[in-house]
Amino acid sequence: MSYFIEFRDVSFRYREDQPWVLKDVSFNVQSDEWLAIIGHNGSGKSTIAKLMNGLLLPQKGEILVDGVQVTEDTIWEIRKKVGMVFQNPDNQFVGTTVKDDVAFGMENHGLPRKLMVERIQTSLAAVGMNDYEAHEPHRLSGGQKQRVAIASVLAVAPQLIILDEATAMLDPKGRLEIMETIRNVQEDQDLSLLTITHDLQEVVKADRVIVMNQGSKWLEGTPRDVFSEKDKLRNIGLDTPFVTKLAAELSAAGLPIQREPLNHQELLEDLWTLHSKM
Amino acid sequence: MKRKGIQQMSWKGIAAFTVLILILPFLLSTSLMITKATFAGIYTIVAVGLGLLMGFAGQISLGQAAFYGVGAYSTAILTATFGLSPWLSLLIAIAAPALIAYILGHTMARLHGYYLAMATLAFGIVIHVLLVEWKGFTKGASGFYGIPKIEFFGFTFTQGISYYYLVWAFALLVIVLSLNIIHSRIGRALRSIHDSEVASSSMGVDTGRYKMQVFIISAMFAGIAGWLFAHMSYSISPGSFGLDGSILFLTMVVLGGSTSVWGAVFGALLITAISSFVQALGSKISFITSDFEHVLYGLILMLVVIFLPQGLFPAIAAKLKPLLEYAGRKKKAGNITAVKGDQRA
Repeated sequence: MSYFIEFRDVSFRYREDQPWVLKDVSFNVQSDEWLAIIGHNGSGKSTIAKLMNGLLLPQKGEILVDGVQVTEDTIWEIRKKVGMVFQNPDNQFVGTTVKDDVAFGMENHGLPRKLMVERIQTSLAAVGMNDYEAHEPHRLSGGQKQRVAIASVLAVAPQLIILDEATAMLDPKGRLEIMETIRNVQEDQDLSLLTITHDLQEVVKADRVIVMNQGSKWLEGTPRDVFSEKDKLRNIGLDTPFVTKLAAELSAAGLPIQREPLNHQELLEDLWTLHSKM
Repeated sequence: MKRKGIQQMSWKGIAAFTVLILILPFLLSTSLMITKATFAGIYTIVAVGLGLLMGFAGQISLGQAAFYGVGAYSTAILTATFGLSPWLSLLIAIAAPALIAYILGHTMARLHGYYLAMATLAFGIVIHVLLVEWKGFTKGASGFYGIPKIEFFGFTFTQGISYYYLVWAFALLVIVLSLNIIHSRIGRALRSIHDSEVASSSMGVDTGRYKMQVFIISAMFAGIAGWLFAHMSYSISPGSFGLDGSILFLTMVVLGGSTSVWGAVFGALLITAISSFVQALGSKISFITSDFEHVLYGLILMLVVIFLPQGLFPAIAAKLKPLLEYAGRKKKAGNITAVKGDQRA
């Protein structure tokens, strides 16, 4: 098994007089995997993202990215491999055109101009924004802005993209579009993906989920495994997807739902074949 | 190659501004007004540097007058005490503030926002105390006398039109350089730092290095202004380089608009004009003293921060933009009609 990222007993606090935000956290991200991290505000999930990118450095434990330990000396190498998309795409826009903004990350990493021109085309095409390269970024819709932000990160050719609440400011349609774009990009370019989110629909699409609670890794598994622990999740104040709750209610009402459904289609499959199983 | 977009507009702006600067002395009736216009040029140099630091790197400095003072005193001491040529001392007047900014930048690397403002404020006070107390070099609070004039191939720049043009030549150079910086890779990196340091770092921007660079550039600009100020006057005293001066420069930048180079220029010109107006008023009305200026600046600063936080220049530019776009479209439509008319003919 090849791990792209390894967290080994990582602890972190922002100041010495403050409590630990992360406490002895260990986990890994495999190559080509989509890992989702969920948890309450203050559970430490965004701190994990910043530690992976070298924006913060751990006080205890170690973090390895592609076999290289994250330190002051390696952060620039790490940032080429780990790209981040934030909640507010405007924070990542500095140019007057979409093209300029996609070039920005590559410019900082000192890529040759010829390669930059090629990658502007390919990364905008990957997110379906190739017709917008001469547009002004601030005139785009929220979803389009976020797709440009993803293209900017893709252009640097990272091996892992972190989406830190990247769809939080979008409407449901915009969220769906972004998640489809991300899934397509991940499959086409063999990327690892880490999403930090409150949106449960995003979580069900991931390969694996980590639930953070009070700075510790609280639960880990596939989305189906994690959402089957409904009571545990409820106890720490986390919600489950509507379809999971509906399936629980149906089970309580005596309908034998065989598996934990993650979407309406799966529940529908269970329900319409129910009669043949009874 | 034809320059496009903002850069093309900037060159048009520079050309128009240069013409204005060239003809201004012929429009000003008294030598006092020319002196004020010269001071406006000196202030512009400091304000543009501070504008880069505040508006683009998101750092606040309350010690800019100290860098200005270091530039002024280093050239004064080197030329008057050690007989160095003012042109050679210009290099020291730029290098000394740059070196201090480099050292300060390293020690302040972990400071942000208000903490950095407080640290630069403390630095300003330290420099002011040094200028007053280090009498062996600076001649203390009474001031440093006997600063020679700048000569260029036998021509002496004395106070008046010649010095006005010298100052504004440097000011235009600083403006052009700053516009180039903000339209370059450094400018984009600085804007990203201003928007979000975390996002900027994740995009590969070495935020610490860029903040340091712009801090040094702003100190160098203040040093140039100090050099020009020292050789304009026969004497200088520490009073010109205290906290009042730093707040004045800050007011210029906030008033004009820190996110635009032209905003800093506009702020410097406006504050100089207000200062001249208050002084003129003071000569007629007894209760309007020089302290009244500070009250007025404080009031302006408060009103701008509350009602126009982006500053006057961007607000005016935003109002004018639709008109200019409309005029541009009309001109374009006129050109198309003219071409069609030619074809028909």
